[in-house]
Amino acid sequence: MSDPTVDSRTFRIGFLAALETEDGAFVAGLLVTNRYGRPLEFQCTSPVRPTRAQELLYGATLKPFLLGELMGRALLERLGTQPDLLVTDHDAILDLRNHIAIPMARIETQPDTVTETPGSADAPPLGRVRMGRRILSIHTAHQDDISALHHGATQVAEETDLQEPLERVRQALAETL
Amino acid sequence: MDHVAQNTAVHFDPLQVDVHALPVHLAVKLFNSGLGAGITRAPRVDVISEELVPAPRLMRAWHPHWATPHTIGVQFADVIEAPRSGSSTVSPYPPPSPFDSDSAIPPATASRPRPNRRTRIDVPDSALSITDRLFFLLQPPIESLLSGQELLMPFEPFPFQYQGIAWLFSRSCGLLADEMGLGKTMQAISAFRLLLRAGQIRSVLLVCPKPLITNWQRELGMWAEEIPVVAIEGPSPRRRMLWEMQNIPVKIANYELLVRDVAMIGEDDFPAFDLVILDEAQRIKNRDSQTNQAARGLRRQRSWALTGTPIENRPSDFVSLLEFIGAVPDHSPSDIRQLNRLARDFVLRRTKDRVLTDLPPRLDRDELLELNPAQTLAYRTAEQDGVVQLSDMGESITIQHVFELVLRLKQICNFDPLTGQSCKLDRLDAEMEEIAESGGKAILFSQWTRSLDWMNVHLERFSPLIYHGGVPSARRDDVLAQFRDDPDCHLLLMSYGVGAVGLNLQWAGYVFLYDRWWNPAVEDQAINRAHRIGQQNPVLVTKFICRNTIEERIDRVLQQKRELFRAVLGDGDVSNTSLSLDARDIFGLFDLKAGRGDTLRSIQLPAADEL
Repeated sequence: MSDPTVDSRTFRIGFLAALETEDGAFVAGLLVTNRYGRPLEFQCTSPVRPTRAQELLYGATLKPFLLGELMGRALLERLGTQPDLLVTDHDAILDLRNHIAIPMARIETQPDTVTETPGSADAPPLGRVRMGRRILSIHTAHQDDISALHHGATQVAEETDLQEPLERVRQALAETL
Repeated sequence: MDHVAQNTAVHFDPLQVDVHALPVHLAVKLFNSGLGAGITRAPRVDVISEELVPAPRLMRAWHPHWATPHTIGVQFADVIEAPRSGSSTVSPYPPPSPFDSDSAIPPATASRPRPNRRTRIDVPDSALSITDRLFFLLQPPIESLLSGQELLMPFEPFPFQYQGIAWLFSRSCGLLADEMGLGKTMQAISAFRLLLRAGQIRSVLLVCPKPLITNWQRELGMWAEEIPVVAIEGPSPRRRMLWEMQNIPVKIANYELLVRDVAMIGEDDFPAFDLVILDEAQRIKNRDSQTNQAARGLRRQRSWALTGTPIENRPSDFVSLLEFIGAVPDHSPSDIRQLNRLARDFVLRRTKDRVLTDLPPRLDRDELLELNPAQTLAYRTAEQDGVVQLSDMGESITIQHVFELVLRLKQICNFDPLTGQSCKLDRLDAEMEEIAESGGKAILFSQWTRSLDWMNVHLERFSPLIYHGGVPSARRDDVLAQFRDDPDCHLLLMSYGVGAVGLNLQWAGYVFLYDRWWNPAVEDQAINRAHRIGQQNPVLVTKFICRNTIEERIDRVLQQKRELFRAVLGDGDVSNTSLSLDARDIFGLFDLKAGRGDTLRSIQLPAADEL
């Protein structure tokens, strides 16, 4: 299942998270790490407040637009170190996948819901892959990303908690505000 | 009158227009409007051709254009990934921790479930720019590096050791002053290993006492096997070549060689280092010494000092360390309250009773012994003669005169040089019999190599081993290995000077202080060779003190001196200023008053192996 084009020695994961400020603005940050979680590059946006026009035009899709298409894509374009897989824990950010060519996954909210390895009776349901200690799901419109997830699962250690780098990103974002 | 009027109807055709006459019947009344001529004129019809469109036309499409958000970024240095090697350095010694595979305490990585803790690296106060702060904030928890197996470690460190690693990692200047036996070596190695692997530093100089070089090499092989290390040694040309080698990231040198080689190469031409670590950093406590000046003259980006006894004698010892790490300017005053504040900012100190609740207890007992008859006679004679001589000297008395008498009396307490009688040896012999029968091992410390050699002969049935300055450096590791591995060897005879620092002897459950050192910190260092991480059993510490002798009086003074340590590094009494015996203390042992100029001067204690 692993992607032969991705060198296991340089497998990189991008962690994309965002914060909403008290005055309704958003900041987003993208941390690229190696497979051990060691930082390689970090990019974050300045606070972005949605305009009235954006609120009217995008309605319920405002957050996916802001966090994914607008801010997420801007961060990816600035990166010097492109990740092999993007991970987030926010549904709205997962919408970015519709605008980029990099596989994306979202961390399921319940950690350790599955304890067995893939292929066993308790393996994650279709479209979900266990990676480290977390279960990751893919965008419903991008089923091909599942192969990238399976490859990623072979690259990170079992004890790895993919939620942790996202907390680092949020902590860094709070520092920039 | 009815008129049949003719009108026209227009039929549309996309190509042509035909005009036909249609009969229209209309009732018409005439009235005189004055427009008769106009009525009779045929109506004028204009035909306009209009093309029809199939669908309504829309406005031009509008695409919103939103400004791209501004971004800021941080690039991290290239990560050096270690090869996934299954090899491990096999140490001839057990690791200085309960992670020992032979230990009863299970190694965490093997069977103990790893607690879900995260030790984050603090953002140091010196990091002011946002990129600097982000650099530290975005570092992963130390534990995750281990769990990801990027940092292969033979055993999982304790939580307080993770904190120590994280603390050192984030500091360009720091004094790690953990109590002896808590793994300062391992913490320092892991911290600079992380810095090397993160590309933050590229060259490390480690300076330690000569006997500890092999210890450091062993620990480096265990905790950072992938990092090339070289010990600076050999003749001058070779040392010069080693100093100039660029591709070896870690160099180890002893203090004496450092002084010599800085003089040989010249301070300006001496290589610069990204990190300089001083182990047993109390060696630079005298700010006027060549060692201190050579260490402070090193060009470096970061300075770490490691010592379990940042204050051996007086607060100025501590100031010297702070000057080296750059926490205070040179020649700073020794104000204890200020030092206490600086200690909070620049010093990390943990004690065993706080962090190692699992460590077996250390049981101290003072063995008050009566001198044997021959000893008593020799002692009283020497004391009376000595005191009479000192009293006769009047104002010309110096500390050296008193000190010589103290040494003489202490030697008689060890054994009578004429008859060989010794109450201490008698007691030791009895206790060693019990220890040997139970398969135990003991370490004995003495100030005199002569006493150690003498005991070696008299305690032969316990197969004692000697470890003091007279044993060549190349043989010392073999001695320690034999003591550990040979079940018939029950006793290790060590001098304070050589055996008190840096060695891991946690397989010994008994420590004897055959005579007392001048400084309780040095005694503690000696005791902690056995009472350290990895010790599985309580450590019984026996101090031999001959009743009604100089030893009893020295013991009382030393008890009072322990308070200073707490004063600077804790919240205790700040009135004491000296931990070691000074001139006033020495004179006080005989109810003598210090001579002029000796009141505040500390005695220059000879090295143990010189005695």
